[in-house]
Amino acid sequence: MLIMSSLQIVPGVFALFYHYALGKRSRRKASILGLFFILGTEVISACLFLSSYYLVNLLFLGEARPENSFVVWLAAGVTLALAFSSFFFYYHKGSTTTFLSRKYAKSLHRYATKTNRLSDAFTLGALSNVCELPFTLPLFIITAIEIMEMSAAYVANDLLTVLYIITPTIPLFIIYYKYHTHHNLADILRSRAKEKTFTKFIISFSYLIIALLIIIFRAI
Amino acid sequence: MEEFDLDKITKALKIDAKAIGIPSGAAEDFIQKSLKAATKKLSTKTIITEKDLQRTLAKELKKYHQDLAYVYENRDTII
Repeated sequence: MLIMSSLQIVPGVFALFYHYALGKRSRRKASILGLFFILGTEVISACLFLSSYYLVNLLFLGEARPENSFVVWLAAGVTLALAFSSFFFYYHKGSTTTFLSRKYAKSLHRYATKTNRLSDAFTLGALSNVCELPFTLPLFIITAIEIMEMSAAYVANDLLTVLYIITPTIPLFIIYYKYHTHHNLADILRSRAKEKTFTKFIISFSYLIIALLIIIFRAI
Repeated sequence: MEEFDLDKITKALKIDAKAIGIPSGAAEDFIQKSLKAATKKLSTKTIITEKDLQRTLAKELKKYHQDLAYVYENRDTII
């Protein structure tokens, strides 16, 4: 959850989108557009996370059980690779631009600039969440395995799933609140630049911890 | 190679200014002043890149409004 709320593409697109919405429309209309963006992010988060349950079910129906040592080492390897790449490749060197290709980032930027319909805001929210997939999908799968194997009551599993879906949108609500308390894109950009190393460290460290936990509790 | 569309830049800056909360009259005034100063500075060059224009205009805007200049200079670095 810490990783999900530290990733930067969705908050970045949202900050940009909301800035342009405020620049072109009334505060009320911008506010509704912003909420639709958040709804889009929320819905796609739910879809991706729930479909990862399906994927896990499908993957582990045959020989590849999660307790199989190859699967465990694969999961550990992937999370270690993500720990490494989130520190070195999540941001482009010397900049706050993310790992997305420039061409794709530019089209996201253009889309964020021009979006002025509720349905487009919803799609933009969903699309920007999909862009984080290289960093979130392995996490979704690992979490789905862990939740499915939990012996706790069914309600606890459901609660964890709901929390997992809601958490990524918390930064969006913070940005939303900031815009409504007389902060602007410049403030958000400055704090983002200031916290760049910290964000990288948090994502990387969290992945490292997950990899270690997998190795300690599953592989050894 | 393409020519810069000053109207397009002015329009984008006005949107930024409104989003930041700068009154439209004041924004209009210093956007025009900054654009004038930036084009004057760059008029000696035959070829200018988008980055040159962005840097020079941001420098001019900084004299009037720090936040607007910061947003104009860094908006491509957010995604």
